[in-house]
Amino acid sequence: MAGVKICKLNKIYPNGFHAVKDVNLDIANKEFMILVGPSGCGKTTTLRMIAGLEDITTGEMYIGDELVNEVSPKDRNIAMVFQNYALYPHMSVYDNMAFGLKLKKTPKDEIDERIKKAAKILDIEALLKRKPKQLSGGQRQRVALGRAIVRKPEVFLMDEPLSNLDAKLRVQMRAELIKLHNELQTTFIYVTHDQTEAMTMGTRICVMNDGVVQQVADPRTIYNAPANVFVASFIGAPQMNFFKGKIADTPVVEVASHVFKLSDHMAEVVKNKGKFNAEVIVGIRPEDIKLGNSSEGLPAKVEVTELLGSDLNVYFKIGEKSYIMKTESSSDVKIGDTIYPVFDMNKLHLFDSETEKSLLY
Amino acid sequence: MKKQTKDHLVFWLFLAPALISFVVVVIIPFFMGLYYSMTDWTAVADSTPVWVGLENYKSMFSDFAFKYSFIRTFLFSVLSVISINLVALTFAFLVTREIRFKNFYRAGFFIPNLIGGLVLGYIWQFIFKSVVPSIGALLGIDFIENLLLLADPNLTLFGLIFAFTWQYAGYIMMIYVAALLNVPQELLEASEIDGANFWQKLISITIPMIAQAFTITSFLTLVSSFKQYDIIVALTNGGPTDLYQGQVVNSSELLAMHIYNVAFKYNNMAEGQARAIIFFLVLSVVSIAQVYYNKKKEVEM
Ligand SMILES: Nc1ncnc2c1ncn2[C@@H]1O[C@H](COP(=O)(O)OP(=O)(O)OP(=O)(O)O)[C@@H](O)[C@H]1O
Ligand SMILES: [Mg+2]
Repeated sequence: MAGVKICKLNKIYPNGFHAVKDVNLDIANKEFMILVGPSGCGKTTTLRMIAGLEDITTGEMYIGDELVNEVSPKDRNIAMVFQNYALYPHMSVYDNMAFGLKLKKTPKDEIDERIKKAAKILDIEALLKRKPKQLSGGQRQRVALGRAIVRKPEVFLMDEPLSNLDAKLRVQMRAELIKLHNELQTTFIYVTHDQTEAMTMGTRICVMNDGVVQQVADPRTIYNAPANVFVASFIGAPQMNFFKGKIADTPVVEVASHVFKLSDHMAEVVKNKGKFNAEVIVGIRPEDIKLGNSSEGLPAKVEVTELLGSDLNVYFKIGEKSYIMKTESSSDVKIGDTIYPVFDMNKLHLFDSETEKSLLY
Repeated sequence: MKKQTKDHLVFWLFLAPALISFVVVVIIPFFMGLYYSMTDWTAVADSTPVWVGLENYKSMFSDFAFKYSFIRTFLFSVLSVISINLVALTFAFLVTREIRFKNFYRAGFFIPNLIGGLVLGYIWQFIFKSVVPSIGALLGIDFIENLLLLADPNLTLFGLIFAFTWQYAGYIMMIYVAALLNVPQELLEASEIDGANFWQKLISITIPMIAQAFTITSFLTLVSSFKQYDIIVALTNGGPTDLYQGQVVNSSELLAMHIYNVAFKYNNMAEGQARAIIFFLVLSVVSIAQVYYNKKKEVEM
């Protein structure tokens, strides 16, 4: 069992592309760490460097206490689940799982025992004699997991293992993976671009963009206290509303011609940062906007509504600016209605308009 | 019903050109050959062939030169298949790595295949007879200076195999290159993470994944070494002669050449034809067995 420590990691591909920039990441033992970010942000590259499949351009990488920059994949005691599973097509499921153990000269009956146990956990006992091509996507995915489990690695690496599955199976496998993590008590590093996976599975989340780490924190913190505009916009669906504003020392934040009074706590923080009279980006999550009556809120026009079963997303306009709010599906808001949305001032997010960093956290 | 008849007509119409030419140039000559192999035909004009039954086959099996040629051909084929495939596979590995000028190397290894066997044979004759000894003299190594591969009945086969490998390995290499490029990189990476070193990756992943190429290459090399003719004509023309079990034999007269000699040099057309039939049968059995065996080992994807 081991943690993974990454210091100032950089990857520059031979064609000169700088894919990973100064990444620092300290992954504790037994943690379920999620790397999340939009396509092309360097998640896979980072994971492959941890696995040893990609050379490290500069920086240091430790697994446990050992510096592994120059250690080849086979000596890192890691296991990896590839996006396309990468099962050996010419071997049966059993042999796929046994391959790594045989290479390590594990005794035959121990191999057998470990495979039986893993197969039981993953519910693939009936499939052991089959070839990979005789399996469904979900079964292949479980075999790929099985191949990783039986080796009892110090670190599990997974690169979007659920992305090939249909929505229902994905939800089911998500739960299975969380269970598996609890059972195995091993470090997991999991790459995804799906924010739901990130929020539900991780003990901590590392949000990346353009090769740069944006924020590393537990899911709750990422959601409630995003460190910058990117994290705030990437996590959460529908997306957080953003608008430009200016802080006055009343203390209020002026948005267009409207003023919102800051909560005492926020006023305090902003004052300490010397940001009175500064231009800011204001953010508010859709669920932090409530429907009010005409005396409470500003008049707004409903443009589109989206019913999502339990929730109703309402797209509305105040002046020329569009917003989204989330309300109960029972409310009978219709397109063209005039509503009076109320912003929950305690849930406001304020970002510096230049650095886009949060002023609050 | 109507449509079906029309479909049938179209089917046969399209098949006809290929079928007719196949029948005319392969099937009919084959059966004519079968017939002639049981006569005393000599291809002399005006003489009608006389039916002799299996006489030609009997004499063939009691002919020492034929048996000798047969054994030498087997030896040559087995060694050639091994040597060509080893060289081709090694080169294929080298030119599929991330090296500079790899396309240049690929083309370079392939070019000998474009040179005709006769020309190539004469080039290698020159090399074996003059270049190798003079290099030996230059280096002062007696062994190399006195190494006359083509003049020694025991070594001449190796000279042939060497030249043949040089000609054919580049072609086979191309087949391996295509196969190697098709092996998913992810599988190799997965096996690396599973703990495989270079050789374990090669044996457990790469080789099984290119099994299909093995079927093709071993078929091609087997058949073409069995039928090898032109390089031998240019290199040794069957020689040098040797004494084997008290009989005079031509140490590099392989089957194709043997048959040619019997038929055209000694003008025993019918006898040559009989040997060609046996040659055909043996080659068919061997290559079908080989393809069958290799097919079984191929990976189902
Ligand atoms: N071999 C390579 N040579 C040059 N650039 C590369 C190479 N591999 C990846 N890149 C670039 O590096 C960046 C990061 O790639 P990476 O595969 O890590 O993205 P990712 O975050 O995993 O994206 P996705 O979610 O789409 O899988 C991309 O912009 C990609 O174009
Ligand atoms: Mg990726």
